[in-house]
Amino acid sequence: MNESSTGLRFRPVATTLAVALTLILAAAAGCDSRQEPELPSVQEKLRESHIYGQPKLRIGVASNEPLMGELRDGVHVGFDVEIARYIAASLGYEGDQRLEFVPVSTEDRIPALQGGTVDLVVSSFSMTEDRKKLVSFAGPYFVTTQEVMVPIRLKDKIRTIEDLRDPAYKICTSGGSTTEAELEKHQVRTFVVKDVGDCVAGIRAGRYDAVSSDETMLAGFLSRHPTEFEIVDMPFGTSELIGVGVPISDPALRDLVAFFLDKSYRLERAGRASPWQTAYNRTLGPWLRAEKPQPQPLEVPELVDFDDKAPR
Amino acid sequence: MTVSSAAAAPAGEPVADEGVRVEEPTAWYDRSWPGSHRLDKVERRAQASQSFWTALVGVPAVFSVLRLGIEAGGELQTTLLLVANVGPVNLLAGFLTTAARLLATALVAVFALGAVFGASVDRLPPGTRRRPLFARWAEITPAWLVLASFLLALVTWPLLYLPLLVPAFVAAFQLRPEQLHERVAPRVLLIVALLGGYAWLLLPTLLDAARQGKPLVVALLALPPLLALGISGPLPRVVIGPLASLTEVAVLVVLVWASLPVISTPVLPLTVTTVGPVNGPTEDVRGHVVTTDDVNMILLQEQGGVRYVPVDQVRAQVLCPSEEELPRYQLRIHDFHVEDSLMEGLGRRVRPVHRIDAACRAVG
Repeated sequence: MNESSTGLRFRPVATTLAVALTLILAAAAGCDSRQEPELPSVQEKLRESHIYGQPKLRIGVASNEPLMGELRDGVHVGFDVEIARYIAASLGYEGDQRLEFVPVSTEDRIPALQGGTVDLVVSSFSMTEDRKKLVSFAGPYFVTTQEVMVPIRLKDKIRTIEDLRDPAYKICTSGGSTTEAELEKHQVRTFVVKDVGDCVAGIRAGRYDAVSSDETMLAGFLSRHPTEFEIVDMPFGTSELIGVGVPISDPALRDLVAFFLDKSYRLERAGRASPWQTAYNRTLGPWLRAEKPQPQPLEVPELVDFDDKAPR
Repeated sequence: MTVSSAAAAPAGEPVADEGVRVEEPTAWYDRSWPGSHRLDKVERRAQASQSFWTALVGVPAVFSVLRLGIEAGGELQTTLLLVANVGPVNLLAGFLTTAARLLATALVAVFALGAVFGASVDRLPPGTRRRPLFARWAEITPAWLVLASFLLALVTWPLLYLPLLVPAFVAAFQLRPEQLHERVAPRVLLIVALLGGYAWLLLPTLLDAARQGKPLVVALLALPPLLALGISGPLPRVVIGPLASLTEVAVLVVLVWASLPVISTPVLPLTVTTVGPVNGPTEDVRGHVVTTDDVNMILLQEQGGVRYVPVDQVRAQVLCPSEEELPRYQLRIHDFHVEDSLMEGLGRRVRPVHRIDAACRAVG
């Protein structure tokens, strides 16, 4: 040994210190390994939510909006329906035996949630400040803009908001919608009917010349009559955030829905197949003018789930 | 390492001291020292080796049977049902799967502490101190077993605790920085390079842990390699005695404490079985499948009780994770989760998609 005497004197002290610190660290590691996770888990949130233990999950969807929520041959189809199925499966409700789609009209969406006839609403539900006082929203899962659809015969004549103001054209929209208010703001005189389907039927019968509504709705009707109409892009400047409606009394369920929407969003960001993308490609995708990605959901809670350890 | 001639006999059978005289039978609790019953070194080794292998086979066997009793919820008839249906090989394999981590920890702790105590006692004048228990165990263990224990720990410990294996390994083999190179400058350079490589590997995780406010994680990842630099060598005389007794008790307590969750870890995989007549209402049964024959599927329900489900009523069955598998940290080391072991992490690379079936969520 060629150490100095000082080295020899300090070596045992250093060894003692190192041994003691290693033992303390090992003990701390032992205690740490038995701790519960700090963050709440998906399972805990599920237990807190009102749907826990329910044999079926009831989801309010539209039944007359092509591409979004439609009842075709007794089967609910559409983008909203696919999103609803994904959320339901994530919450533990998969298959028709465990899932009940309840058709809700536009004006019934809030009362249905408040009255407890449905557990969730996935039906082109715009997240507005007024509505947030009555129901909770998870999302958005889609961002839509206002557009105008014209019959092919008028596709070169109605191109701008200025053209819409021309009294020669009769512009139709659905009552109580955000579109109606927006058109009014631009001093466009409108014919207000119950829903967009009536406008489309009216144009085909020659009663109106154009219909204005949100992009998804119009794309739905375009998919039904692809050779008769065209969607015209107009700079209305407002966008609507479409979210999932949840009873305001159930923040745990809202958190869960937001978490699962975010999970799909992260999958898409990672360049992998996401449930949202699959739903979009199968329904809306081919009919929209421009490709849309999934918007980032807001107010997503941090939750722990079983697949957290999987490679990203 | 040499054996102190004053070492006392470990637990043992009555043994005849060959040659001179025949000893009286020694009771297992006889701890008189310095020993009147001096055993031959080779004989002691043989005896210790025998008890070691007995323990290595016996402890898992006893644990496995205990686990069956706990799995059955303490019910005699259910335990008998499990005993009748769970094969000994499955039981042992199941036990080793869940207990390998604990086993590796125990062995690593004993060998590392044993080597530290052994190195310390060897420096003292002969006969001044009885060799601590762990030192004796470490001494009779072949090097391949020590290495195997460290390898087992390497693949089964969570990555978060893996750095602790560095000082443990250095202590167990009493490696010293001087062994890297005889000259100081290259030695320091080598150490700096090794620590630099380690830092490069872990820096993103350390920063992430600091950002998340996890001081323990930072300490567990950063300190061990530094401790490894000073851990080998003799301990001061005053420390050996108290530390030896303290660590012996501590290791025993920790083993008991850590073995409780191992004993209560299920032997059979957790499933959710959808049961019901065709075109009728269904029910989800959360539990473990004990066995299936031509007539029934026997399910041990998670909440307790055994269900005999007619095979033609089984509509679907899915494998579910248990809540004990939920991670506690949101930290990764180069995409390996810190709570995964190397084995688990590599496994996840082979099967990266982790699908949680809807049925696993629905039933509590």
